[in-house]
Amino acid sequence: MSDFDSELDASGLNCPLPILRAKKAISALDAGQTLRIIATDPGSVKDFEAFCKQTGNELKSSGEEDGKFVFLIQKGA
Amino acid sequence: MSHRLSGPERRETILSAAQGLFADKGFHGVSIDEIARAVNVSPAILYRHFDSKQTLYTAVLEKFASQRQSYVDTIVNHGTRFEDALAGMTQVYIENIAKNPDILKIELHSLLEGNPATLAFFQNRWKSFTDYIEFGLNELLPYDLPNREKTILTAGLMFQGMVREALIQKCLQPQDRLIDLSLYELSNELVVLFLRSIGINKTHISRKATISS
Repeated sequence: MSDFDSELDASGLNCPLPILRAKKAISALDAGQTLRIIATDPGSVKDFEAFCKQTGNELKSSGEEDGKFVFLIQKGA
Repeated sequence: MSHRLSGPERRETILSAAQGLFADKGFHGVSIDEIARAVNVSPAILYRHFDSKQTLYTAVLEKFASQRQSYVDTIVNHGTRFEDALAGMTQVYIENIAKNPDILKIELHSLLEGNPATLAFFQNRWKSFTDYIEFGLNELLPYDLPNREKTILTAGLMFQGMVREALIQKCLQPQDRLIDLSLYELSNELVVLFLRSIGINKTHISRKATISS
């Protein structure tokens, strides 16, 4: 079993597209479900922190894997 | 007096003078000696902070990158409608350049100088718009539209050209032909024209996204 409910690959995309696509993907989730996002834009680290702060979703983790940025966001209530 | 500056302060002073000189004369038009003279230090002291003109130039670009306004607020607050987010992003971009026209000047110099790293840096800034437009139109345009793919690619370039020209007109032209329009009104009009060209008819953009002066 994977430890997330949905996944979004935003590799190669510049801000704001990863945020926009994440916003759409999260709206399809139920509260408490998680979305894993893969991005390559270095600005996305700060962007997803700001996004979660503003939208009430929780940034469960943020890290680098194989030169890509990986985020896990849990949808807020 | 100048010897009282701390290391970081000195670095900032050099960076700021270099930014102005690179903006006015381009990378090749400025020498290290000239930058050192502008901040009243010897070239030896300048080299203590930046080991080459290239390092200094890269530091200026990095400063621009760190000042980049994020589009997160726009996406969160302006809704996900293609046209509203586009108007909001345009507003963020032009405000950033209007505050610091050196960015635009250095971009224009870089086009003539042809340094690949610098060109990539500025191309990447525009990529936010071209990516966004390509992605949005891919969802919006009817699948049976003739020349659909070419239209989508061209639309991004058209938008980039419009916004850059508006910025040149408003930030760099000593004689402004469009004196009756503020940069914000001009940018708003251009977004409306652009939307009309791709079949989205709006006379104004939603209140929240409307560019205010």
